[in-house]
Amino acid sequence: MKPVNIKISEASLAQQSGRSSIDASPYLRLDKVAKRYGSFEAVTDFDLEVPRGDLVALLGPSGCGKTTTLRMIAGLITPSSGTIRVADTDVTNLPPHRRDMGLVFQSYALFPHMSVARNVAFGLDVRSVPDQEKRRQVAAALDLVQLGKLADRRPRELSGGQQQRVALARALVIQPSILLLDEPLSNLDAKLRDEMRTQIRDIQQELRITTVFVTHDQVEALSMCDSIVVMNGGHIEQIGTPYQIYEQPASPFVASFVGRTNRIPGRRTDSNRLDFAAGAIRTATDVAETNVEAMVRPHRISVSWTNKGSGPLLPGDRNSLQAKLQRVTFVGDMIQFHFDANGVALVAEQSSIQAHDIREPGTEATLSWAVSDTRMFGRAE
Amino acid sequence: MSAAAIPDKPATSGLGGQTGLALLLPIVLVNVIGFIIPMLNLARMSFNEYVPGGGIREAFILGNWIKAIADPFNLQLIANSITLSLGVTLATLIVSYPIALYIHWSSGRWRSLLIFLVIAPLLTSAVVRTYGWIALLSNDGPIIRSIKALGVENPPRLLFNTTGVMIGLTEILMPYMILALLAGFGRLDPRFEEAARSLGATPAQTFRRIILPLTLPGIALGWLLCFVLAISSFVTPKLMGGGRVFLLATEIYDQAIVTLNWPVAATLSILVLILFGISLAVYTRLLKRLD
Repeated sequence: MKPVNIKISEASLAQQSGRSSIDASPYLRLDKVAKRYGSFEAVTDFDLEVPRGDLVALLGPSGCGKTTTLRMIAGLITPSSGTIRVADTDVTNLPPHRRDMGLVFQSYALFPHMSVARNVAFGLDVRSVPDQEKRRQVAAALDLVQLGKLADRRPRELSGGQQQRVALARALVIQPSILLLDEPLSNLDAKLRDEMRTQIRDIQQELRITTVFVTHDQVEALSMCDSIVVMNGGHIEQIGTPYQIYEQPASPFVASFVGRTNRIPGRRTDSNRLDFAAGAIRTATDVAETNVEAMVRPHRISVSWTNKGSGPLLPGDRNSLQAKLQRVTFVGDMIQFHFDANGVALVAEQSSIQAHDIREPGTEATLSWAVSDTRMFGRAE
Repeated sequence: MSAAAIPDKPATSGLGGQTGLALLLPIVLVNVIGFIIPMLNLARMSFNEYVPGGGIREAFILGNWIKAIADPFNLQLIANSITLSLGVTLATLIVSYPIALYIHWSSGRWRSLLIFLVIAPLLTSAVVRTYGWIALLSNDGPIIRSIKALGVENPPRLLFNTTGVMIGLTEILMPYMILALLAGFGRLDPRFEEAARSLGATPAQTFRRIILPLTLPGIALGWLLCFVLAISSFVTPKLMGGGRVFLLATEIYDQAIVTLNWPVAATLSILVLILFGISLAVYTRLLKRLD
């Protein structure tokens, strides 16, 4: 699989998230950054430009190099090659304590021998900030994360969510140039995670702080971030806004990693056309290869239980094919219908309140979806 | 002993009280027969009277005790033993701490290999290692000859004096110190160092404010263990001191085996035990303060 590098300019990025592009020069900039361990390439050819005040997610499965990239930005790992710039200053070889970056760890890493207030004050202590000023800033930082009342507690007396907020306050109190978040929500339970997601985004927006957020959770990346860098095997698969990543995935990897997708393997017989055992499909995108697969999101497929018989191609702008219902899965807010179309598994999703009509497995149905929701990718033999 | 290394026991034990007692019985018996009864014997003997020529008269006199803590020679012995043990412990701590820190932060096979290398000297008896040091440190040994080759006219004596005893004991106690430090380093997550560095702390500030405070439990444990082992060590001071270094342990040996003055030997032994008790009390208080 060839990596697809789509680089979008910071101007278009700003446009897509509905902001003016006055401050167009990138604040954080990585040029051809790479990290090799012996013959293993943890990160290859990493190019990224983050405008000031943006929240960008590094999204990918574990081992894709996203944490290595974050640690290189923080200065905890030295890149094997490439440069890292912040506000046009080369920081590639600067030790971490001279980079002024706020780092929040998955494990919080609060100092266990210090109270909450002392933890938050640490960055000011080592900067020899005067006592009074220090107290004021610590109080302000704790208020920001709504933990002012717990200033004298020890970290171990706090819940996971509270510890994470202390870690955030500790990183923010030094007014870092860049905030780096390493899977900050992964150790929290699902409900708390939703709250923290909103809180982190609110704080980030309030302070307008440039933030890099490492996560393997696509929901976090889609819901919180201005732009997303999807990584796989040490390289960038795609950079784009959440909307672009979801609706216009640049590679099969992005399509299947972000959101759920149906993959229909077949042969390309004409431009924007794929033929397979159960019929033919037209696609919105095109490739040059003969061996291809079409992808369509499960919630874009509509199900009709009337057997119309399937023609080779529907007229107009919709694809359609016959399939047999295999099983129905109820997932709370949503119902998944698993179909078989001549050996190709297809899933259609409907929101629970719309899905009144649930049939027995074995029922024949007609599946249809818009051509514009169908993307074509090349496929290895 | 190692409050830092042993996790709290769960609140509800799966075993009933009776089963628990039965399981404890063997170790209780061994301790009573092999430790507590002989200790009481020893304590009783320290009040008996010594008859010159090797006899002991059943009595209840305080003479041995008065002599043990009032006699200038004995006071000197106690002072020697405490200062030497503190010195050895400090030297052991200084050379062991960086090694323990390095092992704590290493991982996988490399870590296992390092820990094996630390423990390996314990597979050889302290007597053999002491003779090894004697060969190395003697006046025509490789170390003195190297110093001479560098042009030093009168190199310092490294054997059969306090220096020799300190060198030998430091090396012999290092494995214990490293293992104790590692046991006490439990709270030290490498992320703490990274967090401190990212917050602007220099390596020196990170060490003083984060690493050192968090490793204090390990330092306290290693200190206690090595102090106790140093003050009670006998073979190394005897062999490497060449009869010129007088310590409580060597004196107990001389009194018991050479002079056959068992009451005085018993008194000094109980005195050493009291020193242990004091160091344990200091350690326990220190650990509470650290928490």
